[in-house]
Amino acid sequence: MATVACDGQTVREINAEIKRLSAAGEKEITVTDPGARHNLGVAVLQDTRLRFEGSVGYYCAGMIDGPTVEVSGSAGWGLAESMKGGHVVVHGNAGNGAAAAIRGGTVVIHGDAAARLGVALKGGTVLVGGNSGYMAGFMGQQGKLIVCGNTGEAFADSMYETVCFVGGEIKELGNDAVVEEPDEEDRAFLSSTLETHLPGKSIDGFRKIVAGRKLWTFDKKERALWREAL
Amino acid sequence: MNERDARDGKLIQASGTFSPAAIEDIQVKAELGRYRIRGFGTLRERQWATFDDLTFIPCSLTRIPLEGYRERCSTKTVLGGKHVEKPIELDIPIMITGMSWGALSYNAKVALAKGADMVGSSNTTGDGGMLDAEREHSRHLIYEVLPSRYGIDVHHLRQADGIELTLGQGAKPGTGGLLLDAKILDDIARQRNLPTGVDQRSPARHPDFLGPDDMIIKIEELREATDWKVPIFVKMGATRVFDDVRLAAKAGADVIVVDGMEGGTGASAEICQEHTGIPTLAAVCEARAALEDIGMYGEVKLIIAGGIRHGVDAAKAMALGADAIYIGTAALMALNCNKPIHVEDYHALGTEPYHCHHCHTGRCPVGITTQDPDLMQRLDIEEGAERVANLLQAMTSEIQILARACGKADVHDLEPEDLRALNAEASMICGIPLAGTDRVWGNGPGWKERK
Repeated sequence: MATVACDGQTVREINAEIKRLSAAGEKEITVTDPGARHNLGVAVLQDTRLRFEGSVGYYCAGMIDGPTVEVSGSAGWGLAESMKGGHVVVHGNAGNGAAAAIRGGTVVIHGDAAARLGVALKGGTVLVGGNSGYMAGFMGQQGKLIVCGNTGEAFADSMYETVCFVGGEIKELGNDAVVEEPDEEDRAFLSSTLETHLPGKSIDGFRKIVAGRKLWTFDKKERALWREAL
Repeated sequence: MNERDARDGKLIQASGTFSPAAIEDIQVKAELGRYRIRGFGTLRERQWATFDDLTFIPCSLTRIPLEGYRERCSTKTVLGGKHVEKPIELDIPIMITGMSWGALSYNAKVALAKGADMVGSSNTTGDGGMLDAEREHSRHLIYEVLPSRYGIDVHHLRQADGIELTLGQGAKPGTGGLLLDAKILDDIARQRNLPTGVDQRSPARHPDFLGPDDMIIKIEELREATDWKVPIFVKMGATRVFDDVRLAAKAGADVIVVDGMEGGTGASAEICQEHTGIPTLAAVCEARAALEDIGMYGEVKLIIAGGIRHGVDAAKAMALGADAIYIGTAALMALNCNKPIHVEDYHALGTEPYHCHHCHTGRCPVGITTQDPDLMQRLDIEEGAERVANLLQAMTSEIQILARACGKADVHDLEPEDLRALNAEASMICGIPLAGTDRVWGNGPGWKERK
């Protein structure tokens, strides 16, 4: 196991060291005192276990493909944005745009997630143990988004094929979002995902939210819907 | 005064307010129940100042011209920055702008890549990601990072020679892109992670940053992702250019792309194409003034786009401050856009060659803005690439002939002093004297130079 100490180093130096170690085949890297620096662990492409001891700033684990990234504190904006594959776990909270545009992998946030969680989701699974802010799931294309707590306004707005699950209250559904009862397959997915990442959480009371598909073509004349959406 | 005519004993007079076009527009929307969507870009008759309102004043006695056959006039164009390990070094200053695979056919994308490469220029990806063939055939490939992040792939990003963080587009600033159902066939749907056959909308804002403060960090992220090797471009539609360019430069962009309102699009709300943004001529003047204002002119490179038709437009933009020029629509015309072939298919769309703006339908008669395999086959990749290369070469030679005539051994040495305005509006916008006078107004590049 290798350790990278952030104290006194620039982000560029820290990331260069992380990439050097990963490329050399190091399987476990601990990064100490990240001090909420931005852009830590960006574009790591190896199957490495990377643990940040503390909080991280914007875009931590952005554009990764392969590693398992753990943050013991909280994360700033754009956590794991555009991730292609890998696993990201944040034990605290996450800022705006967490898991934005990810294409695969898993993002788990034990605390709360701020606005625009999982925006433009293209695949993968996003799991929030707490609450989510405004406009989570906006324009989700594929993938799964699970919020165990409550959501903010405009939840699951203008989605394509992302499937969302919410355990708490939905403050307001977004345009074209519809609530369904989870079926057996959904419950099995929820049960297995929660058991793996947030053991002890019950799947009781979870609702499923999908696109109503009324915004999928421009020729629909759903007047009220289109007035809000366009 | 409205046209008057008498027919069958009745007076025929169109309203100046409710013109036939206005009436038709109302009646179409009364059927549609939404705004109208089409492609191409603005169709308005240009009543604003354009590059046509400037003329070059080549050498006579006060300056000495260069000999065309004997004296070199360099066209080498370097786009980089102080942070960049590998600047982009092009043989010519005309580049191919970002146009998506989806809006364009596979054949069109590959022909553009090959054509640009044949003359040492660059190609740009677009909303939808990178094609392997595009990478394979481009010595210089710029990878666009757009708000939608369709097709975003870190492995492709790291193969790029430059990264373009796109904030907006000249044809439709402040709005996201559209790709209608006829083009969302299986391959495009797979590439963009979308259901087949939807009308795709792209978000207007990036999902992970909002303003210039966040963008500073975003640019740094892109540098980290590419190991600080390649230049970072920031592209914007031309709106509040003076302020936006200053913010982008201060945020750390190596290259700023300003796309004027005459720029093209594959599909957008018609009103955005016709009623938003500022003209390219005004945009280049504001952009240069902005970089000068913060002391970064020359350090941060400036690319101008938006309705550039030929080397003359490009040369004038460069004289006003651009380091390089993007072309999009003109490159598609080199691929036969609007050419009078397959005329029956133009008629099927309700249009004519030279008048077609039906890119949004996916029924492009010449195989460029379509995903239909039969239509796409009408565009031969090798022949198309040859024509794109020819156009780029012709435009570059047009710039060179003007530069030599103005006594310049490098096309980048063209300057506002090489120009005169042909009307008061262009004079005021550019700060260039109206021909026959020595008066200048405003704060355009020419005014600064004379001051």
